[in-house]
Amino acid sequence: MAMTSSSQVPRLLALVPYLQAHPDADLEATASVFDVTPRQLVADLKVLWFCGLPGGAPGDLIEVDMDALESGTIRLTNAEFLARPHRFTPEEAMSLVVALAALEEMADAELGPAVRSARAKLEGAVGGGTDKVAIAVSAGQESIRGQLADAIAAGVAVRLTYHGASRGVATTPVVDPARLGTRDGYGYLTAWAHERAGWRTYRLDRIVAVDPLEQATTDHGPAPALASGWLDDRPDAVEVTLDLRPGGRWITEYHPLVATEELPDGLLRVRMRVADPGWFRRLLLRLGPAVARVDPPQAAASAIEAAREALGGDR
Amino acid sequence: MNLTICLLMARRFVEREQIRELVEGYHGLSDQAFERTFERDKDDLRAMGVPVETGSNSPLFPDEVGYRIRRRDFELPEIDFTPAELAALGVASTVWDDARLGGQATAALAKLRASGLDPDADRVATFAPTVGAREPAFETLWQATLAGQPVAFTYRGLARVVEPWRLVNRKGAWYLIGLDRTRGEGRSYKVSRIEDAPRLAKGEVTPPDPAVVEEHVRSLTARRDTIATIAVRDGAAPDLVRFARPVGPDPEPNPDADPAAPPPPGFTAWRLRVASDPTDAAGDIAWYGADVVVLDPPELAAAVRAHLEAVAAWR
Repeated sequence: MAMTSSSQVPRLLALVPYLQAHPDADLEATASVFDVTPRQLVADLKVLWFCGLPGGAPGDLIEVDMDALESGTIRLTNAEFLARPHRFTPEEAMSLVVALAALEEMADAELGPAVRSARAKLEGAVGGGTDKVAIAVSAGQESIRGQLADAIAAGVAVRLTYHGASRGVATTPVVDPARLGTRDGYGYLTAWAHERAGWRTYRLDRIVAVDPLEQATTDHGPAPALASGWLDDRPDAVEVTLDLRPGGRWITEYHPLVATEELPDGLLRVRMRVADPGWFRRLLLRLGPAVARVDPPQAAASAIEAAREALGGDR
Repeated sequence: MNLTICLLMARRFVEREQIRELVEGYHGLSDQAFERTFERDKDDLRAMGVPVETGSNSPLFPDEVGYRIRRRDFELPEIDFTPAELAALGVASTVWDDARLGGQATAALAKLRASGLDPDADRVATFAPTVGAREPAFETLWQATLAGQPVAFTYRGLARVVEPWRLVNRKGAWYLIGLDRTRGEGRSYKVSRIEDAPRLAKGEVTPPDPAVVEEHVRSLTARRDTIATIAVRDGAAPDLVRFARPVGPDPEPNPDADPAAPPPPGFTAWRLRVASDPTDAAGDIAWYGADVVVLDPPELAAAVRAHLEAVAAWR
């Protein structure tokens, strides 16, 4: 006992039943199940060798076949007294319950029912308290996700009908769909856009139709991971500084910013990278009176023009 | 480890001196060292959630304290997961983008595998969402919420003690809803805005009224109680029109009412729910510039006009 660390004991208590349920388990595969290095797993097995029934007589201890271990196979015997793992801790159970709740919002009609019933069984096994954490993901319609997953599995290109935020009009890009994922509470499709000959991400709740084409996808290499903040390090992005009145402070919650600085008179100075001028024009239109200053001033020109146009058309 | 096995195997309570003889790791320790090591090991096991019970085998000598672990309290109960549910659990164990929570999910899945249930995750991996917990304060709040323990932190410059009710993820951001003991009222806190490292505090969490918690959860999303009639340039603002109903001819026109202003040529009229506060709604509509014109209510039309005039007045 003195030889084991506090994180090792829970692992050993699961490892013993695991190795009995998986005779002749592979060392590497087992290490990855427990998210440890093979070296750590061998150290675990050496600790187990000293574990067993009270008394410590040789026949009472767990046996590990060290010859088999040399060739990467784990053979463990004499451990029938520990045949089942320990219960989930509340935190372990909740980590799965919350993950299932997020997965449920991304799933299609085929996967959805299994996610829901798995969650119900897990909640039933832990008893109450599983409403203490809740999660929501905006991932559009189940049927859209299903069609995209089918196209990814079949390896065919699709035509999307996409209502992007920056253009103001629907577009119909032809893409090779690669992966579904989430970032910051929204579901996204990562796909190779034919027209732009590059990887693009599409918010799932803005995709209104998916039409599979009779055209196989081609290999564009691995799809890039969804970055945690968009506009990050875009080479064509420019930096813009806004001085905001209190009514515009909300943007610090929604947009990745380079820096913020409190100014006198309750103003907040934010520096942000802008890659899409159309999006920035709309952001300024939305902020409206909450903006006290834009630097460089020409960054606001397009928003001013759009506001004048809107006021003229309104008369 | 050996202490666990020893107590798990025992049908009766095992007394302290017996444990000292039976468990190999305690041999050769001085009285003082044994006491210290045994107490520490026992606390470690309880912290892991291993139910170490204290009691006496004899009703005549209740002072003879012994220890045991009941097998049925220790072992993971049989849960009858279908292969589809196991696949969902397999994917769920990969969704946390956070070392601690990801580790807990991995440990939970390893326990399922140890009980002989092996998920085949590949089939549904396409749908895997990502759940982040980048907020530095998250881990302590997660522990406090699940353990039902108050937590102390600074928020908006004030030191507070909060009884956590629920952790909620909205648009990728975590919020804590709980009772602010200092103020004696329920509140929600954006976890990223907590200004110091939260500490677990003494005391218990009084179970909240579920209706109060739900009210706080609802208040995290802005209210949209106002019905507006808007004219949208044909083909523009698809992301707005998706949530709107087209305005058809009134089946029973009221001859006394003012006829509603008709949409300008090339525009179509829609009905839409917007934020109840006209200032908030004005920003949302100004985003679309000249593509959207408010027809009704007049307060909203005026608010949008004032908003755009502020932008048009920029130099």
